Amino acid sequence: MRNGLSPEQLLTVRGLNAGFDAGPVLFGIDLEVAPSELVALVGANGAGKSTLLGVLSGLVRATSGTVTLSGADVTNARPEVLVRNGVAHVPQGRRLFGTMSVEKNLLLGAFLRRDGEIRTDLVRVLDHFPALKDKLSREAGTLSGGEQQMVAIGRGMMARPKLLMVDELSLGLAPKVVDRLIDVVRDINQEGMAMILVEQDVLVALDAANRAYVLENGRVALSGAAADVRDDPGVRRAYLGL
Amino acid sequence: MIAQGLRDRRWRRIFLIVGVVVAAYALLAPLTSLDFAQSANVPLLADRLWFRLATYIAMFIVMATAWNIIGGITGYAAFGNVAFFGIGAYTTGMLIAKAKWPFLAALPFAPVVSALFAALVGLPLLRLRGHYFAVASLGVGVAVGELVQNIDYGGQPLFGGASGLFLPIFSIDNRGLFFFYLMVAAAAVAIFATRWVLRSRFGYGLIAIRENEEAAAVIGVNTTSYKVAAFALAAALTGLAGGIFSQWNVFINQDNAFPIEYNVQMILMALLGGTGTVFGPAAGAVLLQLLIQFLGGSLPISVDIPFVSTAARPIVAQVILGLLLVAVVIFVPRGVIDFFGGRSRLSLSYLRRSLRETSL
Amino acid sequence: MSVAAAAPQLELRGVTKRFGGVAAVDGVSFEIAKGEIVGIIGPNGAGKTTLLNCISGLHRLDGGDIRWQGESIAGVAPHRIARIGIGRTFQIVRPFGSMTVRENAAVGAMFGSDAARRGPKEAFEMADQVLELVGLEAKAGHPVSALTIPDRKRLEVARAVATKPQLLLLDEVMAGLNNVEIDEALEMVRAVHATGVTVLLIEHVMRVIVGVCRRAVVLDFGQVLAEGEPEVVLRDERVIQAYLGERYAKRLKS
Repeated sequence: MRNGLSPEQLLTVRGLNAGFDAGPVLFGIDLEVAPSELVALVGANGAGKSTLLGVLSGLVRATSGTVTLSGADVTNARPEVLVRNGVAHVPQGRRLFGTMSVEKNLLLGAFLRRDGEIRTDLVRVLDHFPALKDKLSREAGTLSGGEQQMVAIGRGMMARPKLLMVDELSLGLAPKVVDRLIDVVRDINQEGMAMILVEQDVLVALDAANRAYVLENGRVALSGAAADVRDDPGVRRAYLGL
Repeated sequence: MIAQGLRDRRWRRIFLIVGVVVAAYALLAPLTSLDFAQSANVPLLADRLWFRLATYIAMFIVMATAWNIIGGITGYAAFGNVAFFGIGAYTTGMLIAKAKWPFLAALPFAPVVSALFAALVGLPLLRLRGHYFAVASLGVGVAVGELVQNIDYGGQPLFGGASGLFLPIFSIDNRGLFFFYLMVAAAAVAIFATRWVLRSRFGYGLIAIRENEEAAAVIGVNTTSYKVAAFALAAALTGLAGGIFSQWNVFINQDNAFPIEYNVQMILMALLGGTGTVFGPAAGAVLLQLLIQFLGGSLPISVDIPFVSTAARPIVAQVILGLLLVAVVIFVPRGVIDFFGGRSRLSLSYLRRSLRETSL
Repeated sequence: MSVAAAAPQLELRGVTKRFGGVAAVDGVSFEIAKGEIVGIIGPNGAGKTTLLNCISGLHRLDGGDIRWQGESIAGVAPHRIARIGIGRTFQIVRPFGSMTVRENAAVGAMFGSDAARRGPKEAFEMADQVLELVGLEAKAGHPVSALTIPDRKRLEVARAVATKPQLLLLDEVMAGLNNVEIDEALEMVRAVHATGVTVLLIEHVMRVIVGVCRRAVVLDFGQVLAEGEPEVVLRDERVIQAYLGERYAKRLKS
């Protein structure tokens, strides 16, 4: 056990710095996710939320700091290694394989799996998203935005991750669809999958989450129980416009 | 940032100095071949071989710079521009050989006919995007060469057929010098045309098309006519080079007027020098043409390539060019001008950034 | 003269667009008067963006007609639509990536409506004015890649505004913005509207619809489900059923 971290955390981030050629984006991020916890990550655009998810899924390199997953150091591990170790990323803007069928998109989520339960998991995913059942053979690119987001989340679930990270769940979606997706996210979480939810609609995110982190200019400005964060006067002013 | 800016400026100055020196040498050396210079015992800096090589380089400056207008600025990877070179060559060649026109009267028709042809095939072709356009344009390039060789009229090959077309020699003192300066003038026209395009409304429209065609359309860019105009302008300049070539070379046939390898070479030159820039393709043309001539063994300074016989050298040259193309696309996708003038050069982060930009 | 004055600026009559056998937009009719701000809302896949594509000429109509100041513009090419004074933004922003912020706006001013078209020099002057209007003047020299998402959205609007449109079509300009950023973007839309531009906008953010629109059109399955004042439309039981959902409706009322 490195650094004497408590073993019950699924994900531990310590002193993380990361950025791009244009300059650093994240400064000394500390963050934990316990198993089966739902953590909201909120903050203004450009605060570094997507960059943080990028580091956690191996798409962006950390310049310093550590990322520990179930006690093992996975700092700057390759994306496929992270997927194999139980991290799935539902990227902003869905990024579906547009000309492939919905079924193929979902099955590709299980690309690295060699077990015999892939079909069982497909059925499980479709139970969460019954709307996709009669659209399995449709090209993913022809679906509505809400259905595409369902496929994107479903594809992430098919990797059977311990941690599912969803970037901008509500982006461009009708209110009713957002409601339904939030319900599904809660259900999946209650089945034991830990989640990080990045969301612009701060109220929606804080209603759903157990705990929340507020990022400002690449730093954790505030963290705590979701209800406390929602009642924080600074958050109410800066993000809720109240 | 400031240190980078300084290095930026330093490289730009070095480039400028090297460019001016090379250009001055290339423009002044021919004068030493003139009679009065020779009688004044000025050392001869430009012999027949020099003129041949330098005229070829100028010819490729025209073609690479012209390709840059459609391929670099507009973003349509034309792979068949040699068709315009050949059409220009045959237009001038036919007017001189068959219609008995004087060269300077026939030459203006080369760019005109090439541009008209480009507009004609461009209308359907430029509706295609990405690789579809590249492949279709390559097809046109090949087809035109075949047609020119094989069209018969009244039982006779219309354009000289397989035996080609012989032109009467353009008699003028200092022939080599004349054609060299003529080709240099064409290169200057191409470079100035590019400079004008990049500063004009027309050029902004073309770049907008390259970046996002639908977005260009909804801000009011008539994408079809802009693309066709860019294609026709590139064709006109390429055709002009072909027209000069036909009279310079005196003999044209399918092999020297429609060489398929020119298609790749002009693109490679533009990529090597820097697409979308004014002088990049010209710099690339000089570098690559020197390399091609060196590998082919026709430079005065020649080095034996181990294990390669003289006869096999052109083939090896092609292989090396192919490898160079791969290397250019990976390591200097934005051209040598950016490579040396830009921030970091042979560094991993430059390579990573390049790979990221080319793989998107 | 009185006839022309009474005519709506934009008039949709039974506009229909099919993809394969499916009608994405199915007989949509409504009108927009000069100077209005009208919102289009509706479930994902209801045909909102398709409708915008029909108006801006990117899609050919399969039925119906679109009339601009009394004249049909069905089947007219996108660049001509821009020239007569209809500008638009895209849901997923499409900046010209190799250009600076200022150049992006300037290209809009070089082309665009007949009122906008000018040479590079004046176009850059106009670009500066437009960048000031949308609040991007401090970033004029930046490359697009250096912009945050809200700024990219501003740039998308700036380029469209630089074309000097009489009608501006905005496709989800507020998506992906948090509440405070939305308020800033609302200010921008109001500022553009104040220069005399009619606005037709697609949004899923109800505070935008309620905040700036005098009228909202609800699309569902390619058809107009409801139309009217936002406060009324958002309480419509059918709209709640098809689009808002019970939870949202409750939150809206509270």
